[in-house]
Amino acid sequence: MISIKDLKKEYKGTTVVDVTELTIAQGESFGLVGNNGAGKTTLFRMILDLIKPTSGEVQISGKNVQTTDEWKKYTGSFLDENFLISYLTPDEYFKFVGQLHGYSDADLKNFYAVFEELFNGEIQGKTKYLGDLSKGNLKKAGVAAAFMGNPQVVVLDEPFENLDPTSQIRLKDLLKQLQRERNITYLISSHDLNHVTELCNRIVILEKGQVIKDLKGSSNILTELEEYFKA
Amino acid sequence: MIKFFLSHSWKKFSRSVSFGKEMTTTLFLAFLGVMLVGYALALGFGLNHIIIKGLKIDDSVTFLNGLLLYYFGFEFVLRFFFQTLPVLDAQPYLHLPVKKSGIVHYLLIKSMLNVINLLPLLLFAPFAFVAIAPVYGTLAAWIWLPGIWLTGIMFHYLVILFKKELDDSIWGLIILIGLFVLFGAIDYYGWFKLSDVSAFMFTAFITQPLFILIPIALSTGVYFLCYYFFRQGMYIEGMSRQKNDLYGVTKDISFLNSFGNIGAWINLELKLILRNKRPRNIFYLSLFFLSYGLAFYTRKQYAEDMPGFLLFVSTFVTGTFMINYGQFLFSWQGGHFDFTLTQPVSIRNYVEAKYWLLCSVTIICSVLSVPYVYFGWQILAMQLAAAAFNLGINVFIILNMAMWEPKKMDLKKSTVFNYQGVGAAQWLMGFPILLGPYVFYLPFSLTGYSNVGILAVGLAGVIGIVFRKKFLAITTNRLIEKRYVIAANFRKEG
Repeated sequence: MISIKDLKKEYKGTTVVDVTELTIAQGESFGLVGNNGAGKTTLFRMILDLIKPTSGEVQISGKNVQTTDEWKKYTGSFLDENFLISYLTPDEYFKFVGQLHGYSDADLKNFYAVFEELFNGEIQGKTKYLGDLSKGNLKKAGVAAAFMGNPQVVVLDEPFENLDPTSQIRLKDLLKQLQRERNITYLISSHDLNHVTELCNRIVILEKGQVIKDLKGSSNILTELEEYFKA
Repeated sequence: MIKFFLSHSWKKFSRSVSFGKEMTTTLFLAFLGVMLVGYALALGFGLNHIIIKGLKIDDSVTFLNGLLLYYFGFEFVLRFFFQTLPVLDAQPYLHLPVKKSGIVHYLLIKSMLNVINLLPLLLFAPFAFVAIAPVYGTLAAWIWLPGIWLTGIMFHYLVILFKKELDDSIWGLIILIGLFVLFGAIDYYGWFKLSDVSAFMFTAFITQPLFILIPIALSTGVYFLCYYFFRQGMYIEGMSRQKNDLYGVTKDISFLNSFGNIGAWINLELKLILRNKRPRNIFYLSLFFLSYGLAFYTRKQYAEDMPGFLLFVSTFVTGTFMINYGQFLFSWQGGHFDFTLTQPVSIRNYVEAKYWLLCSVTIICSVLSVPYVYFGWQILAMQLAAAAFNLGINVFIILNMAMWEPKKMDLKKSTVFNYQGVGAAQWLMGFPILLGPYVFYLPFSLTGYSNVGILAVGLAGVIGIVFRKKFLAITTNRLIEKRYVIAANFRKEG
């Protein structure tokens, strides 16, 4: 689904990301962990063609993200507040994103049904603008919007950050459920090792922009991760 | 503490994305400032001479005092347009052991560093010592000059207060216009003579030195009123968007949705304009500038002696929104540029939406300004030519200029403390747009065919309109090329 080749990003001589080869299969839940400054967000931004790589390329479904727009139709993403429109209410925002994906009213209704529990009555039908929402509710709105247009790939940066414990558990269960039902390919970064290991069947540790460990399928991923981060 | 504030202000300026760009405008403004100071000083030294010899008036002191109210009226307008609210992003300091009162006093006192406050000193200091001191004594001169300066300072803080409290609404503009109409009427119908009032007020400083206490009291009073309001605003909630006032009236225009993605983007941008203070003000202002023509088209001397100047007016009347809003065309939506890039819309659609938005407003302005035909068919022809030029050429210049190192607009914090004012710098960027029509007009008008010149301007516009697809494609490609740089700029704060 996603393949990265010789991807490199340098800022004034400092290498921030340097990934020789990385392939993520369709339906795989790919977790990305690493300490601050490891290059997680930069890598995600290059996958979404928001930053120009110094060299190398990213392909989604065999198409180079830099030269085509195709992938945008089936790739949902939420990295930070730059993905939200601060002067719209959540409803208007969902309607707008839905419009870009050709949503009908029924589609929009289905969408709300899926996220009703996560929204917890604090997002739908409110007249507060997104710019005035709390960080937790912003996160929920952004993550939900990433699922509009029935995407095959969903890229989320720190989806659990700022969420209250109840919402964290709900989001985790919802993400799992959606993947079961729709076979979505996830790219999720997180600092919460418990959540990310529960959600993802493959975890990559990034350090100084390089893939240090690529852990797949084994039952004791969490222990391995804890070993690494202790050091 | 003040040392830190000063150094932070400087760092904010020198480390900002557009430092180089602002440097050029700052230098240009500094140059203009020096020129202004020079002229003012020259005028100041010549003032007494001009009044006595030039206007043949013996009592130059009473005469000048009679003009001072008019001077302050002029100064007020100058201040209204060029004086920006003192800015310091206060939020990072609120939780630190820094006195809030200190922050406010710093802001207010720093705001006095303004050429306009120097103006009365430059203009009237020489007069005080040439004309007043010899007749009424040195003390009188020393009272008169500070009296005038303090009156100016009072207006300085009055404008700050005015802008801060009324800027968000169109009422500020209405009140201002109302005041000027009132004073104009008083003067015109001669209910009482403003110049007599003025002469009485300012001659008082000379006859009774104690009257200096009045401007001292007034300016101090207004200062503390400012202080009071700013101090009140020093809470985070006062800095964020306060009201949802326009939510109800800014729904989608459903007719636009039938244009697919382009319509959706235009709807989105309309919400942006109406829901956020700064773009909204620009919108109101362009409605106001529609009446700009009245100031020029009505004068016979412009129409007869310099019709070329009216072309400038036409371009401005039909294109103010395009020019003022368009300079920051991409910056307004800078807060969600990453979103724009990852959504399933082509950049072409995005650019086209902006193109149509600018064009629609320009067409509306052009239609609304048709009644100027009252002042002659010549005026209408010029308006149409200018409108065509705006729609065919200027819109693409603006679209492309707006890609030049754009900075993110902070829409969310756009109230009280974060007013990135519409100052002189932005107006400067309008020059290439306003001068463009002359490239086509002057070759003909200078050889005596000014009507052909107007036709040429219109024709250039029409050609631009005809080839719009080509220009749109070029613009789109430029945006696609520059998308990484622009996105990176927008990710930085301010």
